[in-house]
Amino acid sequence: MDLQIHELVGATHDATWLPWAVQYFFLIGISATALLLSLPAFVLPRNRALSQGRLALMVAVTSGITGPVALLADLHQPLRFWHFYAYTHTTSWMAWGAWIVPLYVTFLVLFAWAVHRPALYARGKEAWRFAWLFRGLSLGGSANTFAPSLGIGAGIFALGVLTYTGAEVSVVAARPLWNTPFLPLQFLVTGLVGGLGVMLVLNRMLLDDLALERRMNHELSLVLAVAAASGAAWYVLALSGISPKHNAALASVAGFTVWRHIAGWGSFSVALVFAIAIIRPVGTGWLTGLVAILIAWMFRWIVFMGGQAVPKVGSGLYDSLVLASLESLMGVIGTFGLWIFLIIAYTTFVPWVEARPPHEREPDEALAHPQSSHS
Amino acid sequence: MDINRRKFLSALGSVTMGSVAYAATGSALAQTTEVGKPHWGMVVDLRKCIGCQACTVACVMENDVPEHAFRTHVSVYEVIKDGGDPAMVMLPRLCNHCDDPPCLPVCPVEATFKNPGTGEVLVDATRCVGCGYCVQACPYDARFINHRTQVADKCTFCIHRTSAGLLPACVETCVGGARNFGDLNNPQSAVSKLLAEHPVSVLRPEMHTHPNVRYIGLDEALNGRVAGEAAYRPPETTQVEEDA
Repeated sequence: MDLQIHELVGATHDATWLPWAVQYFFLIGISATALLLSLPAFVLPRNRALSQGRLALMVAVTSGITGPVALLADLHQPLRFWHFYAYTHTTSWMAWGAWIVPLYVTFLVLFAWAVHRPALYARGKEAWRFAWLFRGLSLGGSANTFAPSLGIGAGIFALGVLTYTGAEVSVVAARPLWNTPFLPLQFLVTGLVGGLGVMLVLNRMLLDDLALERRMNHELSLVLAVAAASGAAWYVLALSGISPKHNAALASVAGFTVWRHIAGWGSFSVALVFAIAIIRPVGTGWLTGLVAILIAWMFRWIVFMGGQAVPKVGSGLYDSLVLASLESLMGVIGTFGLWIFLIIAYTTFVPWVEARPPHEREPDEALAHPQSSHS
Repeated sequence: MDINRRKFLSALGSVTMGSVAYAATGSALAQTTEVGKPHWGMVVDLRKCIGCQACTVACVMENDVPEHAFRTHVSVYEVIKDGGDPAMVMLPRLCNHCDDPPCLPVCPVEATFKNPGTGEVLVDATRCVGCGYCVQACPYDARFINHRTQVADKCTFCIHRTSAGLLPACVETCVGGARNFGDLNNPQSAVSKLLAEHPVSVLRPEMHTHPNVRYIGLDEALNGRVAGEAAYRPPETTQVEEDA
């Protein structure tokens, strides 16, 4: 039967999860994956992974603190955050997240403190104006044999963060684009893409370590390959009809030109960075890093804002895919601003380049060298 | 007989209170209140809806619904089948007060709940944190964040009216009698009679939410996301002043 339908009167629905939510999922994904990347250096420990571990830990801490701030901003009643703890509803993934995220951030900060404690202590023993501050920060000691335990705890909660963020979105059956089993995996993989992207950029800015750049570009190409494979599998499952959920997800956006452009540009970006990271892994960290960050961010923007642009019962698309209001723009800029500020503060005040695997003895003289912690 | 004195007195109290309520209201919903609580439902007879939006306006006025949001409205479609003459199809939309509401388990603070007995899906505005998770989970786009109160908002079946024996505002004002409201448990209620006499369907049956809003004459092409051209949405060039 040939059927033509024109909606004459319909209601539009504004996006409920605003760009702050995008920022949160972007930052917490980067933080959790970066934390996992830092563990080989400080928990196993492997000296080969030390340079990357230092960068990864810095990225994990700064994005791990900024992310929850963005999440709180997305709450329409932020002063009622305590309701999450007073009235926990265990059937809700968000309620679990309300417990997991603070535990993750606590363990993350404690782990970072433990890793940096010897260097903080060494700074506190030097004769300079702010030595008292570093003595206080080190709590008067340099022992950090407990750092691996904290790292394992943070790692477990990082896995919790990745699990709950993926599940929270993918269980929403009302939004076909979100309701696919692949989404948690895609959040994980694109989180890794974003985390490596940030580390590549920071490496160029702060360390200029070409061996590290080569290594991270190789890692980036690997996770991009996984991202591309998951995207291709998603598409095949949807087209073949094997998975009704994927089929519904594709059907919800397939008829719209803007979504075809999104798919095209997304595939092109992944292929471009993959090729550059493989062909020229040295000297391209700026480019691959920045585009990798963009890929991770755009994936979340498209999932959240694009997903909310798809009406559940009405026709056409709503406008939420486009950054429409000044308020939303300020939210995005403000969150990135806070993150950059924390990175500057971290690299300025924390002796992060001196971070080493845990040891029981006092820091040696070399560690106590009073050079600036940032390049 | 397994009834003790406390249960007997309690039941006597309920009957007495019910009688008082019946006598006090003696109105539209009186036919529905028998022993025990009613289970509210709505049957929308699409053959009678003329798309006048009187229900939309009545709801806004009754419930102080803010600009850019609706607890209920009537979608209007032009449908052309097999190149024939275009037909206007009206589709009143509202919260379906599902028996298995997807908005309920996702609420992280249990602010959304199903009213025991009567079955309305309600929001405790004093507990809601405005996270919007329920808005995402609702398959009917029937919830929104009220930008005046900053909490989740939705149709309550006008619980403040039904508890006083009145009909919901949208039903009260419906010009063509398309909206019918009553006790689904009571076989003598208007809605039960409509359900007995007509085949009905629900929106988005694939979601298995067991809605308590049912439709007579609903075209299958309109029971989910409507594939078709969207209504023209003019760009918002003027800022509406809140509570001007």
